[in-house]
Amino acid sequence: MAGQCSDYINNLNDYLDGEISPELCKELEKHIGQCNNCRIMVDSLKQTVSLCREGKKENLPKALENKLTNILKEKWNKKFPKQ
Amino acid sequence: MDEKQLVAKAQKGDFDAFLLLVNDHKSKVYNLALKMTGSVQDAEDIVQDTLVKAIDKIDQFRGESAFGTWLYSIALNQTRALLANYKKADLKPIEEYLPSINSIDTEHNSIRLFDWRDPHKLLEQNELKDIIDDAIEALPLIYKEAFILRYYEELSIKKVADLIGESVASAKSRVLRARVALRDHLSKVFEDNYGRTMQ
Ligand SMILES: [Zn+2]
Repeated sequence: MAGQCSDYINNLNDYLDGEISPELCKELEKHIGQCNNCRIMVDSLKQTVSLCREGKKENLPKALENKLTNILKEKWNKKFPKQ
Repeated sequence: MDEKQLVAKAQKGDFDAFLLLVNDHKSKVYNLALKMTGSVQDAEDIVQDTLVKAIDKIDQFRGESAFGTWLYSIALNQTRALLANYKKADLKPIEEYLPSINSIDTEHNSIRLFDWRDPHKLLEQNELKDIIDDAIEALPLIYKEAFILRYYEELSIKKVADLIGESVASAKSRVLRARVALRDHLSKVFEDNYGRTMQ
C-alpha cells in the first residue's frame, strides 16, 4: 500500500475498530500524521459513530408494557391450555 | 436460575419463566426497532409481534445461540418484513465515495476536506440530534441494519454476519459503507450549517 489516500479507505474501518495488523496500523498512522485530509477523514469517521451513539436509550413505553403482558398471557394460554 | 433452566421451564408451559427470559431483552428489541424504523408506533408493533412470534416458536429454540440472539433474529425479520416496501436502494461502491479524496491524489491536495471540529460546540443539542436521526433514516435498509447492530448493539462482526445471514466479508463491507455514507451525509450538513461562518 503505497501512500495514495484512496488506497487507505478500505482499511479505515478496521483501523478505527482496532482490527488491523500492527504493520498496517503503523503505516496508516504515519500517513495520517502527514496528511491533513486523511486526518480529517479519520476524525470525522470516529465522530460519526460517537455522535450516533449519543441518543439515549429509550425505555419501553409504560402503556405498551401493560398491554403486552395481557396480549402475551392470552397468547400463552392458547398455546399451553390449562388442564 | 440460569437461562437454560428458564428455557426448559418455558417450553413446558411456565409463563413466568418466559417473562423472565424476555424481560432483559424487551427494551433492546424496542430500541433496535426504533432506530431501524424511526417510528414509535412501528417499534411498538415490532416488539409485540416479536414476542408473540417467540411464544409461537419457543419449542423450536434449541439453545444453539443465546436466547437474546434468537429473539433478535426474530425482531430483525419482523423489522425487515415491515420495511420490505421501503426503499431498497444500494449504496455506491466504497471507491466512489469521497470524490474529494480521490481527486487529492491527482491534484496534490488542492482540495481540502471540511474539518468538523466539535459539532457540539457549533450546533444546538436538539439540532444535532435531528441531523443524526435524518442521516440514519436516509441509509438503505441493509446498511442501516448492519450499522445499528455493529455500533448501537455493539455486536461483533461475526454476530452481525450471522444475524443478517451474510458472510463476514460482506457484513464488514456493509458496515464500512454505512459508516462512510453517514460521514459524508453529516459532513455536508455540518458544512452547510456552520462551515461558512468559520472561515
Ligand atoms: Zn491522505
